[in-house]
Amino acid sequence: MAIQKQYYRRKKVCKFCVERIDNINYKDVKLLSQFVPERSKIMPRRISGVCTPHQRLLSDAIKKARNIALLPFATE
Amino acid sequence: MRNYEIMFIVSPNAADEDIDKINGQIEGVITAGGGKAEKIEKLGKRRLAYIVKKFREGSYILFTVQADGAIVREVERRLRVMDLVIKYLTVRMDDDLKRLDKIKAHRQKRAARRGRAHAEGGERRGPSPAEQMPEE
Repeated sequence: MAIQKQYYRRKKVCKFCVERIDNINYKDVKLLSQFVPERSKIMPRRISGVCTPHQRLLSDAIKKARNIALLPFATE
Repeated sequence: MRNYEIMFIVSPNAADEDIDKINGQIEGVITAGGGKAEKIEKLGKRRLAYIVKKFREGSYILFTVQADGAIVREVERRLRVMDLVIKYLTVRMDDDLKRLDKIKAHRQKRAARRGRAHAEGGERRGPSPAEQMPEE
């Protein structure tokens, strides 16, 4: 007898597609910090569910923000 | 001419007059080279995400500029020389702006088309205009 899975995973959706956020700006720390967890690494797509084109823009923005000390490179 | 954003951080010990002086100098460099400083914004004092030149905080200043590469190079050289400026970043914006315009135009076109399609009952994505209206 096949055991039925007790839970099923909710399909992740890209926040930027759903909320129609076109402009991923390096100055928008509030938005960007949602995608940098405690260790201040960039959150991978498989966890955040962001689509590929948006992830590319997002990681660029995070890297710019790091350069100007808006976001940390690493947490000590 | 391209659009750039030049952001820099001034040390927290700098007085307001010092900051104004720096802004004036930078603006002078830009206009002298034939560029245009469209916007000068003081974003105020902020905690830095990491220690820069032994400072934990700094005042952010943002220039929105229309200029050539040569002007930007000169501005960056000046910023590097200034002791009060602890970090700077120049970002080219025109590609981004172009992309945003394109998305906006695309969206408008689609919205117009969808408006027509809705009359025939073809609605797939997002709430229809009628659904968004408050009920009376």
